Amino acid sequence: MLAFIAGGFVLLSAVRVISGADEITSSGTLAVTLTATMPIALAGLGGLWAERAGVVNIGLEGMMIMGTLGAGYVTYHHGVLAGVLGAIAFGMIGGALHALATVIFGVDHIVSGVAINIIAAGIAGFLAEAWFTDLPGGGPTQSPSLADPGKINLSFLSEPASNLEDKHWFLVSDLASVVEMFTKNLSVLTLLGLALIVGSFFLLWRTRFGLRLRSCGEAPEAAESVGINVYRYKFTAVMISGGLAGLGGAYLALVSTSGFQVGQTQGRGYIGLAAMIFGNWRPTGMFMGSGLFGYTQALPFRDGTHSVHALLLVVAGLLVAVAVIQWLKGSRRNAIISVVLGAVFLTWYLTTDIVPADFTKMAPYVTTMLVLAFAAQRLRMPAADGRIYRKGSSG
Amino acid sequence: MTSAVAAGETAIELTGIGKRFPGVIANHDIDITIQAGTIHALVGENGAGKSTLMKILYGVQKPDDGTIKVNGAEVSFATPSDAIAHGLGMVFQHFMLADNLTVLENVVLGAESLHGIGDDARAEITRISEVYGFGLDPDELVESLGVGERQRVEILKVLFRGARIIILDEPTAVLVPHEVDALFENLRRLRDQGHTLIFISHKLDEVLAIADHITVIRRGTTVASVLPSETTSRGLAELMVGSELPSPSTEESTVTETVLLAVRDLEVTDEDGRQELAEISFDIHAGEIVGIAGVEGNGQTELVEAIIGMRHLSRGTVTMSGTDITHWTTRQRRESGIGYIPEDRHRHGLLLDSPLWENRILGHQSRPPSVVGPWLNLRGARADAERIIAEYDVRTPGVGTNARALSGGNQQKFIVGREMSGDPKILVASHPTRGVDVGAQAQIWSHIKAARKDGLAVLLISADLDELIGLSDSIRVLLRGRLVGRFDPQSVTPQELGSAMTGAGDDR
Ligand SMILES: Nc1ncnc2c1ncn2[C@@H]1O[C@H](COP(=O)(O)OP(=O)(O)OP(=O)(O)O)[C@@H](O)[C@H]1O
Ligand SMILES: [Mg+2]
Repeated sequence: MLAFIAGGFVLLSAVRVISGADEITSSGTLAVTLTATMPIALAGLGGLWAERAGVVNIGLEGMMIMGTLGAGYVTYHHGVLAGVLGAIAFGMIGGALHALATVIFGVDHIVSGVAINIIAAGIAGFLAEAWFTDLPGGGPTQSPSLADPGKINLSFLSEPASNLEDKHWFLVSDLASVVEMFTKNLSVLTLLGLALIVGSFFLLWRTRFGLRLRSCGEAPEAAESVGINVYRYKFTAVMISGGLAGLGGAYLALVSTSGFQVGQTQGRGYIGLAAMIFGNWRPTGMFMGSGLFGYTQALPFRDGTHSVHALLLVVAGLLVAVAVIQWLKGSRRNAIISVVLGAVFLTWYLTTDIVPADFTKMAPYVTTMLVLAFAAQRLRMPAADGRIYRKGSSG
Repeated sequence: MTSAVAAGETAIELTGIGKRFPGVIANHDIDITIQAGTIHALVGENGAGKSTLMKILYGVQKPDDGTIKVNGAEVSFATPSDAIAHGLGMVFQHFMLADNLTVLENVVLGAESLHGIGDDARAEITRISEVYGFGLDPDELVESLGVGERQRVEILKVLFRGARIIILDEPTAVLVPHEVDALFENLRRLRDQGHTLIFISHKLDEVLAIADHITVIRRGTTVASVLPSETTSRGLAELMVGSELPSPSTEESTVTETVLLAVRDLEVTDEDGRQELAEISFDIHAGEIVGIAGVEGNGQTELVEAIIGMRHLSRGTVTMSGTDITHWTTRQRRESGIGYIPEDRHRHGLLLDSPLWENRILGHQSRPPSVVGPWLNLRGARADAERIIAEYDVRTPGVGTNARALSGGNQQKFIVGREMSGDPKILVASHPTRGVDVGAQAQIWSHIKAARKDGLAVLLISADLDELIGLSDSIRVLLRGRLVGRFDPQSVTPQELGSAMTGAGDDR
C-alpha cells in the first residue's frame, strides 16, 4: 500500500519536472485536494461502518444533506462547536431511520436508502426556506454566512516548506508541498476527520467491539449463534454511519464553503460509497480512493488545461506500471492492452500542448475510471452485505 | 461409567417439548433427562427432529410447547446468548463460520473476554489445536479451509469456550476414524471433568463407543431410551426406523475397459504458489468407482474442484472419454455429463432460500427436464423434483418447500438425487452420504451401484472407510497433495488404510 502511494508520488513528481506543469503538485492544488477529499472520505467512512455491519447505506447522500442543514441551522444560532455536533446529530437521525427500516423492519436496504435521500432533499429544501429566508444574509436556499471551525497554522514548518516548494526540485519540492498542505490553514475538521479514519481502523480491526460488528456483516447467523446481539450492532453501526455522513455535511457547509446551500452535497455521498468500494471496504483504501476523487476534482481549477494535459503523461506512466505488474503476474494479454493504452496516452500527450478547457472537467472522471478499472484488485465485500437478516435464522 | 463429579444430578430436563413448522411437526412430546457428567447420544432418522430439538435447547428457536430445565431450574431462552449464559455451547450441524474472518477471529468471537482477541487467544488456539491434532493455523482465512478443517474449527470453538454443557450435532460427519478417536478421548476427558455432552451422529458404532445413554427419536418424538451395553448398532437402527433394515448385497465387479475420466500429472498451487496437489494421475473406467481415502485437508477439495473446473490447474490435463477438457468451464463439463456432489451442501449445493424445484434446476439449467427451448420448464422441474423426493425418500412437505427447511440429511439426499439425474457419465462425489441416516445411506449406495452397473464412473471421496471399502473398485490414498498408495478394497482393512492416510510407516 505504502509502496503504491510512494510510487504514484514519484511518478507525479517526475511528470511535473518533465512537463513543467508545476500546479500538479503545488501546495495550492494539494490544499484544494484535501478540502475536496475530506467530505468524500467522511461519507466513505460512514459507508464503511454500515457495510461492515452488513447494511448497505446508499442513504449517505441524504444523511449528508441532513448534516449540511444541521450545520447551517445550529451553527448560526449556537456557534460552530454546537453546529458540528448538530450536523452529526442530524445525520444520525437519518441513520436511525435507515437502521429502523432495514434492521428492525427488514426493508430492502436500497429502497430505504433511496427513500431517505429523497426525503432528506425535500426536508432540507423546506426547512431551509422556513429557517433562513428571514435571516440577515440568508435566503430561501441558503443560510447566512457561518463561522469557520478554526484553522491550524504551523508557520515555522510551512514557511520553509513554501520556500523549498518554489525551488521546483524533483521530489524535494513536491514533498515540501505536502508538508505545507498539512501545516498551513489546516482546518480543525480535517484533522478530526483524519483522526476518525485512523480511529475507525483501530476500533473495527483491533477491538472486540469491531470484531463483533464485522462478524454481523460477514455471517450474522454465526454471530447470533455465539450470543451476539446482531440487531444492536447493526443499529449502532448505521447510526455511526449517519453521524459520519452528517459530519461530512458539516465539512461542506463550514469548511468547503462558509454556509449552507441547498443542493450543496452534489452527490458526494455516492462518490464516498464508490471510494469505499475502490478501497475494498477498508479505511486506508477508502481514503486513497477519496483522495483520488478529490485530486481530480481539484486539478481542473488549477491551471486546468496544462495540469490536465500533464495528467495524460501520468496516466501513460501508470498504464506502463500496470503492464509491468501484469506481465510479472503472467497475464500477458492484460499487459499488452495496458501498454497499447499507455502508448495512446503518451502520443496524445506528445502531440498536443494543452487539453481543451471543456475536457478538463471530464478528464478527472476518465482518469478515475481508468484507475478503477486497472487497479484490478480483488474486491471483497462483507459476505452478508445488503442481506436482510432476521433474528432466529441461526443454525 | 458415570463420573463421580456430578453423578445423579440432572443437567438437562426436557419435558413435553413440541415444535411445529408449516406442514411439519418437527417435535412433539419429547421427554429427555440428561444426567450431569455424562455423554448422552441422540439418534434418529433424517428429519426425525434432532437438530430442531437442539436448536430449541440452545435458544435459537422457541418451542411451541413444553418446558426446559437446566441444572434443575426452569429456563426460557430467547436467544443463544441466554443459553450461553447458562453454560451451554453448541457445534451446529451446518457450520456457523464467517468465511472472510480468520480462524482466530471465528473462534474468539463472542468469547473475547476469555483470552482477548490477540496473542493470548492465538496461543490458546494453537495449544488446543495441538492437543487435538487439529493442525489449524489461527491466522488462516476460513474461506480457504475445506470441510474437515471447518469441522475442526467448529469443535475448537466450543472447546475454547469451555462450556459446561456441550451440544455436538454431527461433529464427526467428515472426520476419519483416527480423528474421531482423538476427539472421543477428549470428550471423555471433558465428561470426567464434569461436563455434560450431547452427541448426535448417524454413525451408530461411534454412538455405541462414546455414549453413556442413548435416546432414540422417531418422527419427532422420543421412542426409546437405551444403554449402549444393552444394544447393537443393528438394534439401534431398527429402533430408529421402526422396522428391520435390508442387509447389504454383495456384487460383482462391473469395471470395463473404457477410460471415462483420465487425470494426468495434475498440479494445483494456491495463491502464494504453494503446491496443494502434485503429480496426480489416475484413470476411472466406465463402471468403476475409485475411492480417495485421506484426512480432509490433504488436497481433497482442490482435487474435486480441479476436476469439476472450479479451480485453475497449474499443470496437467483432465480428459473425458478421450477429449481434453482441461480448459472447459464448469458448465461445459456438467453439460457433457459430469455430476458433482459437493462436500459442503450449504456453500455449494443449494440455494437455501429457494424452493426445491428451483434447486432441481441448479446445475441443470440448460438441460431437460428443466428447460424447453430457450425457456425454463417449471412444470418439468417440479415433476422431476417430485421424482427425486420419491426415489430418494426426501422427507419434506413438497417441492415448494425452501431447501433451508429440510433437515441436513434430507438436503443431502436431494442433492444426490439431483446429481444422479440425467444419467451422468461421471460422478464426482465428496462425502455423498454425509449426515445421512443408515437406511438412506444404504439406499444411496444402491442407487450408485445400479448406475455403476450401467457404466457410471465415480470418483468417491469419503471419510467413512466402510463406505470407501464397500463401494470402491480401487482405493487411492491422498496425503499432503499426493497420491501415495493404492489398495484393493477386497483385501484392505480399515487399519491399513488408516495408517496409510496419516503417513505412518513412511516419512512422518
Ligand atoms: N426452519 C424450518 N422450517 C420448516 N421446517 C423445518 C425447519 N427446520 C426443520 N424443519 C423440519 O423439521 C423436521 C426435523 O428437522 P431436523 O433438522 O430437526 O431433523 P434432524 O433429526 O436433525 O435430521 P438430520 O439427521 O437429517 O439432520 C424436518 O422435517 C424438517 O423438514
Ligand atoms: Mg440435523
